[in-house]
Order: sequence, then structure tokens, then C-alpha cells
Amino acid sequence: MRATKNKAPNPTELIDWLNDEGLVELDWDFPEEGDLIAAGLDSMAVMQLVVAVEDFFGVELTPDNLTRTNLESPRKLAALIASKMS
Amino acid sequence: MIADHGRFDVVVIGGGSAGMAAAITAARSGARTILIERHGYAGGMGTASLVHSFCGLYLLRREPGAVIANPGFCGEIEQRMSAATGIGPQRMGRLDVLPQHPVEFVRIADEMLAAEPMLETLFHAEVCGIERDADEWRISLTHRTDCTRLASSSIVDASGDAVVAAWLGRECAVAPAEKLQRPAYVFGVRCAAAIDEAARLRISGRLCEGIREGLLPPEALGLTFRASGRLGEVFGTLDLTGNMNGRDFDPLDASCLSGLEFTGRQVAAAVVRYLAGHDATWSDSYISHWPARAGIRESRRWVGEYVLTGEDLLESRHFDDEIALATWPMEMRETAKGPKLRFPTEDLPAGIPLRCLKPAGIDRLFVAGRCISADHEAQASIRVMGTCFATGEAAGRAAAG
Ligand SMILES: Cc1cc2nc3c(=O)[nH]c(=O)nc-3n(C[C@H](O)[C@H](O)[C@H](O)COP(=O)(O)OP(=O)(O)OC[C@H]3O[C@@H](n4cnc5c(N)ncnc54)[C@H](O)[C@@H]3O)c2cc1C
Repeated sequence: MRATKNKAPNPTELIDWLNDEGLVELDWDFPEEGDLIAAGLDSMAVMQLVVAVEDFFGVELTPDNLTRTNLESPRKLAALIASKMS
Repeated sequence: MIADHGRFDVVVIGGGSAGMAAAITAARSGARTILIERHGYAGGMGTASLVHSFCGLYLLRREPGAVIANPGFCGEIEQRMSAATGIGPQRMGRLDVLPQHPVEFVRIADEMLAAEPMLETLFHAEVCGIERDADEWRISLTHRTDCTRLASSSIVDASGDAVVAAWLGRECAVAPAEKLQRPAYVFGVRCAAAIDEAARLRISGRLCEGIREGLLPPEALGLTFRASGRLGEVFGTLDLTGNMNGRDFDPLDASCLSGLEFTGRQVAAAVVRYLAGHDATWSDSYISHWPARAGIRESRRWVGEYVLTGEDLLESRHFDDEIALATWPMEMRETAKGPKLRFPTEDLPAGIPLRCLKPAGIDRLFVAGRCISADHEAQASIRVMGTCFATGEAAGRAAAG
């Protein structure tokens, strides 16, 4: 499922989007609750994530947003992006 | 004036992880050996460029516990380094890595080199030419304005850049500019803050903010901080594209390398200044250590009797004449956006044949380290220091034999 520009993604769309952007390599069946940080979303990838989120979804993630709780899983990250958009 | 430095059984060019292993092993095998290194200390990228972990020392495995893949020199280095740092192998998924400190590495290398009665180590000398004359090699060195000659029966090219191939006009390989593994600039920071996961994520956010505000250059996106293992000390690693002034990355070009040095320092200084002003835990931080040179992951490689391929590693192939095991996954760094790891199909090592250390059709010449005969993909595994020690050891033994 493709994420749409400037529209809050659901967790599955977010997984595809993370792959498309080359931010982290996730299997097609990566679970919505899967651990993104363990899957390779390291500190450098997180910076690229911030840039890409700003570009695609039009929201700025701040240093305070970048906690393990917020980035932990596609579900949590999708929720973070959605909350910033509303 | 051209001075004569005498005749040796083995000359090792370059004292990085591969060259020091080669020189010590050749000397231990009874060969009269000389190691020539242009810097004032050995260790290469592991000291002069502040690369601070030994990868490739251990087998790839799911079970807990680190197992040395190539006993011998690697085991010796592992013991000395963990005794110095008090830190053992660290598990990351299926990989074990030994954190190493460049300052300790310099001292350990000094001790090991000085302990060999058959070995002379010459720092501050750069090999600048090689010829084959009847049955011996003639080597020219420069140091200051002097030129020195020496002769030897065998040579080990542990220069990292296959310099001997260039002088002899022999076949070598360089990946296309856009595929070369990207370089990086590593620097030391004095910083009281702990670098744990939460701090790393927060710092990532701060750097993005600094870039957004126009206070930091976009290159700062290539930065990672890691604890050095010493209290209050952190290493920053800045991955760069290496493209300089509109020209593609060329690891063998002095202008390109100069651009890398300038850019690395500029970005590092801007980031540390910014963090000191914008993150309470970094307020007293400052840069404590520049590298002697920017880090180069890949440059020119030899083409030997056999070219190790990425497929050999994926399939964990073995060879009758193998001299070491390659255990590190292929760590692709073709962009400045972090690594992409390619693991073998099964979690098993592949063999590195002696033929990869032997340039085709040239007697008594051996290669070790990151410029052995391997394709671009295989080089992404065999360049790690654990494997460089092992190919160095094998080249030293072969050259002495
Ligand atoms: C940024 C970066 C991060 C890395 N991360 C890791 C990691 O985490 N773990 C890991 O194991 N590996 C890592 N690597 C790879 C590893 O550091 C290198 O591939 C390895 O150190 C190469 O060893 P070497 O002995 O083949 O060459 P080098 O270390 O390059 O040594 C070559 C030596 O030869 C000398 N020399 C060259 N030409 C001459 C000459 N003509 N005369 C005299 N002396 C000469 C040089 O001064 C140098 O000391 C990294 C590399 C980089 C750049």
C-alpha cells in the first residue's frame, strides 16, 4: 500500500514508505508492532527519517519527539506522524 | 645522495592492521624483515583514522558467545586489546565486535613490533618506487629530502591502496566512482554526557533542527556518535559522499582527499559547537582529537591469481588453498546514509584462498589487507581489521617461506 503525500499514513503504508525511502530494510511481512530500532533504524537513519517525514508528510519531528517509545514500531511512528498532522 | 639501507628477506610496505601482522609473522618465521610506514605509528585506519572497533574477528553465529574465526595473530590482538580497555566482545544481533581504542592500538603495535629481533620498523619513510632486478626487489624510500634504497627477496604490499601494482604497471581494479564505498571522517570529542540510545536519538533530532535552522551544513546528516569506552570521551563518525567541488569521489587523488579533510573538520567543529550551545548535557564538550587522515574504506585493489567474489561469500565457499576465513557480512556503504549489510545465505564463513594474496605472474610478491584480490562486493567484507590481521599473517608467512 502506498502512502499519500501530506496524508497521515497507516502502519502498513508506513512500512512500505520506510522501505521506499531506503530508511531501513523491512521484510514485506514486518509486523506493525515490530521493533524498528532493532531492524536497523539507527541514529543516522533517524536523521534521514526526520528529513523525509518533513518532505513527504509536511511535519517537523522535534528532538523531544525522537524517543524510543515514539519510534519503536510502525504503529507508534504512524501515530506520531498523525498526531503532528492533526 | 642515495643511501643504501641494506638487504632483507621481506619488505612490508605499510604498517596498518595487515602490514603489522605480516611483518611480525615474517620476522617470527625467521626472515630478516623491515616494515616501512609513512606515519609515526602503526595501525593504519585503526589508529591514524580513529576507526575504533575490530570487526571480523569472530564467527557469525546465533548462539551466544564470541568465537575467534582465525586463531593466531587475531587471538593475540584480541587478548592484548581487551586487557588494555577492559572491554570484551560486544554482541550486535548475530555479530560480535571488539571495541578498540586507537591510543591503545598504537601502544600495543609498538610493543609487538619492538619485541621481534628479526624485525626493523622504519616510520616516517614512504616507499616511492619498486623495480625487479634479476632475483631481487629494489625498493626506493623517501624521508625528508633523502632517498634510500634497499633490496629484498620478497615484498608484501599492505599499503591499502595497492601502490605496488601502480608502480609495476600491473593489473588492478577500482570500482566506478558512484559505487566506491564512501569515506568517513572520525574525530574524538570530550563530552561528559552518556551516549546511550535515548541520547543518540535526541542528538539526531538536535542535528536535524540545526540543519533546518541553517546553523549546520546538511553533511551533518552523516554523523553518528559512539562512546569510546573511556569516561567522558566519544567518537564522532561522519560519513561523507567524497564528491568534492563538483568532482566524483577519488580516494587516490590528493585534491579530493584534501577536500575531505577540510569538510570533515568543518562539519565536526560546527556540530560540536552547535551541540555545546543547544544541548544541556553537551555544554562543556569540545573536540579533543583529530585523525591524522580521513578514513578510506575502498580504493584500488590488486587483481590476483583468484578474485574473491561476493557470490563466494554469499555461498560460504571454501578453497583448497584457503589461508583465512571471512566472517563479516558485506557491509555496503555506497551512500553516506549508513550501512546495508549483506549476510551469507547460511550463517557460515567463506574461505580466502592464498591466490587472492598473489598477484598473477609475479614471483615473491604478496598482498594483504583491504587491497587483496577481491571484487567490490567481497572487499566490503574482507576490508575489516579482523580479516586484515588474518590476511596479513598469511602474507607474512608466505613471504618468509
Ligand atoms: C570510516 C571507517 C570505518 C570503518 N569501520 C570499521 C570497523 O568498525 N571495524 C573494522 O574492523 N574495520 C572498519 N573499517 C575498515 C578498516 O578500518 C580498514 O579497511 C583496515 O584498517 C585496512 O587495513 P590495511 O592494513 O589493509 O590498510 P590501512 O589501515 O589503510 O594501512 C595502510 C598503511 O600503509 C601505509 N602506507 C601506504 N602507502 C605507503 C607507502 N608508500 N609507504 C609507507 N607507508 C605506506 C599507510 O600510512 C597506512 O598506515 C572502517 C574503515 C573506515 C574508513
